[in-house]
Amino acid sequence: MSRPTTGPALEVRGLSKHFGGVIAVDACSFEAPLGQVTGLIGPNGAGKSTAIDLVSGFKLADSGTVLFKGREIQGHPPHEISRLGLIRTFQSPREWPGLTVLENVVMARWDPGREGFLGAITGLRRAQRAKADDELAQARDILDEFGLAKLRNERAGNLSGGQKRLVEFARIRMAAPELVILDEPMGGVNPVLGERMAVAIEGFIAAGTSVIVVEHNLPFIERVTQHVIVMAQGTVIAEGPFESLRSNRDVVDAYLGEQVR
Amino acid sequence: MHAALLTLGFGIVTASILALSAVAFTLQYGVTNVANVSHGEILTIGAYAAYLVHQRTGSAPAAAIAAALAGGLIALAMYSSVIGPFIRFGASPTVIFIATLGVSFVIQNVLVIFFGAANVAYNIDPGAPQQVGPFLLNALDEQIVISAVVITAALFFIISRTKFGKALRAVSQNRELARVTGINATRVAAATFFLAGLIAGYAGFVLAESVGSFTPYFGFGFFLITLTAAVAGGLGRAVGTMVGAVIVGIILEVVPALPVPFVGGYISASYNLAIAFAILALVILFRPRGLFTSARRTVFE
Amino acid sequence: MTTYLIAVLTEGAIFGIMALGLNVIWGWSGDFDLAYYGYIAVGAYMTIVLTVGPPVAPAQYIIGQSLPYPLAVVFAVITAMAVALVVGSIALRHLRGIYFSIVTLGAVYVMYVFAGQYVPLFDGYNGLSGLFDPMGDWFGLDYFSYQYFFLGLSLVMFALVYFVMSRVSSSRFGMALRTLREDERAAAAFGRDIYRLKLKGYVLGAALGGFAGALFAAYLTAFNTSAWSPVEVIVLYSAVLVGGRGNIRGVVLGVLIMGLIVNESTRFLPQLPLPGLSAFDTLHPQVLQAARGGIIGLVLVLFLRFRPQGLLPERRFVDRSPATPAIEPAPLAS
Repeated sequence: MSRPTTGPALEVRGLSKHFGGVIAVDACSFEAPLGQVTGLIGPNGAGKSTAIDLVSGFKLADSGTVLFKGREIQGHPPHEISRLGLIRTFQSPREWPGLTVLENVVMARWDPGREGFLGAITGLRRAQRAKADDELAQARDILDEFGLAKLRNERAGNLSGGQKRLVEFARIRMAAPELVILDEPMGGVNPVLGERMAVAIEGFIAAGTSVIVVEHNLPFIERVTQHVIVMAQGTVIAEGPFESLRSNRDVVDAYLGEQVR
Repeated sequence: MHAALLTLGFGIVTASILALSAVAFTLQYGVTNVANVSHGEILTIGAYAAYLVHQRTGSAPAAAIAAALAGGLIALAMYSSVIGPFIRFGASPTVIFIATLGVSFVIQNVLVIFFGAANVAYNIDPGAPQQVGPFLLNALDEQIVISAVVITAALFFIISRTKFGKALRAVSQNRELARVTGINATRVAAATFFLAGLIAGYAGFVLAESVGSFTPYFGFGFFLITLTAAVAGGLGRAVGTMVGAVIVGIILEVVPALPVPFVGGYISASYNLAIAFAILALVILFRPRGLFTSARRTVFE
Repeated sequence: MTTYLIAVLTEGAIFGIMALGLNVIWGWSGDFDLAYYGYIAVGAYMTIVLTVGPPVAPAQYIIGQSLPYPLAVVFAVITAMAVALVVGSIALRHLRGIYFSIVTLGAVYVMYVFAGQYVPLFDGYNGLSGLFDPMGDWFGLDYFSYQYFFLGLSLVMFALVYFVMSRVSSSRFGMALRTLREDERAAAAFGRDIYRLKLKGYVLGAALGGFAGALFAAYLTAFNTSAWSPVEVIVLYSAVLVGGRGNIRGVVLGVLIMGLIVNESTRFLPQLPLPGLSAFDTLHPQVLQAARGGIIGLVLVLFLRFRPQGLLPERRFVDRSPATPAIEPAPLAS
């Protein structure tokens, strides 16, 4: 995959989506800089998750454009967007529960040549086998890195929530996308794992993957991000480095408004 | 025109039976989220019970009551011994679906063991056809339509006015929430199944009367049409189900009577089920019930 | 070898192929497809109309060629795949769970009704017959040797299919199908085209079904809607469930067990202290059949409740290489 060296990792312009009478996302526009960790925060109901669904192809927008690597991706199905290099996680861990941890990681990478039926028959060929062995070795190394080596033959469904999150991160590492969008990775996870996740995210950046993190856990956002976007009521109300937002009137109002409600 | 109205009249009779069966099915689905594939067998058992009692007593009302009671009991048994335990066990809807398919199969075979697989003739003198408005119905038809209306009205009264009805609605909408408010969801579900079984058992009696004969398999065939009506009207929604039943019932009568140049003339009545399924497939495919398309809507189930 | 044993083994091999095909759709993709038996039927019917030559009145059926059996089988399989493509492209696009099952039930019922009602197609409920000893004349076999020949053929075909399925099971294609079963959204998020992949699996399964149907037609020498009865269908699905969905060894075991149950379960019935049992068979001829059916249904429900993963649950790849060289001593032999 060719990696552009300039330009934002993701460009969202005028994205809108409504459900019945409710406007979930309202003319939302933002850019996520390349090679950085961008946070996406905001009170409940701000439309963050919907925006992520729209960007990743899991929902269809009413209007607006999403540019990824200079291409319009809005309206494309999720698998196409994923193949272009944009992978997202979900609010609850979505591992493949019946497969082992190792299988989960190995299958994170989409391999067009080897996933057809014919590939199954020809898989006996030496070149294919070597490739498969290579992949297996890579997957093992990644699991080692994440401290999951001991669990590699465990059914992924048997893991704890935090461990499942780590498996998801391992999958991202394996797939090596250009952009990963993490949807509330700290949700339901022991705060102790926060540092491990932060380190993992730094690993993504080092490997050339830009990151967008949607989170409620503000200390985590402060720890990992270089740039933060704040959404409220479906649209972007502020952006900038985390510290600058602390004193931003609009941001404080948005969060306070949520608490009073 | 006259013929069209006649057909419409028959359609209403079919629709009445179908409405009863479909509403019973929907009650079960509403309160457990389970599509009970052995629903048809409730009708079959009702028919056999009615036949046996009618043979002994010669009384149609006694037969009707026997049918309803037998239906209620078997439905209750289905819930207590199969559906309830599977739900508590945490089985997925598909697993329970398959299980009820198995139950259906078992019941059909048990009936064959005891009664044989041959057609059992259930002949009640239908009476002379009379002009009822623009339609031509006989006494049997009238009985069917009237009883269907009465039962449905009674059902709606129960659901909307009684305490049980309130509990039923609560459990149908949100089982967990209903539990939290002190409702014994299991008991409500069991009672609902009994109620649904009463209606379905009676429907079986009426269907057997109307057709004139039945076998251990006839309920299953009717179930497929029932499913069409229930899905068309919206699984879990009683009013929609009624509407669906009426529409499907009428279509099933009207379509075979259409002078369509297919299979050399008129469409054979045995294509009924095929037509019903065509409707079903179309409905399922085009209703936006939160079906999954990668780019458009959300995942269901 | 007795005729009975030959028949049982031949049938077992054919059912084994059917079960392996169903396993692709239900075991690996995770879709409870009720239309599957329809593809078996298509395979059977098409094989016959392509080998027995033109219809002799009053029988009616389409095509009516006298092709060599292997060629007819190829066309039959292609036809089954085509029908599956149509059904699958509709049902798999939006539907999952019970909605998918219901629509496929509808599809198979429509197929069944057409096969039985629309006489010009396959002679209605009479069905087709006359497929005697295909390829027997190539080798100059008499009736008895042919039984052995066909048994051998069926077993070889089964072994071939089994081998291919074991390759598919451990391949990326097989794993990709499983990711669809485990979590579709995650699969999509990691680049899998859900619809296309499921469709591929569906057509593959149907191909096996059609192939089994072609063999079945030769075994029965005929095919009609009564060979398409609920008992046959439930036995097949029970075999996959009881044996172990997703595990090809399990599925084969399931076929063996269901075969055992089907053939032997009613052997012991007359000894049970049930009222009026001495007159069991003679009173109602269908009773034995029904008792068998009842037992099978019961087995299905019990397994669903107490052992839904089957006797041999799906095996996962176990990585036996040393975990972390730094932590563990010398690499151990696996």
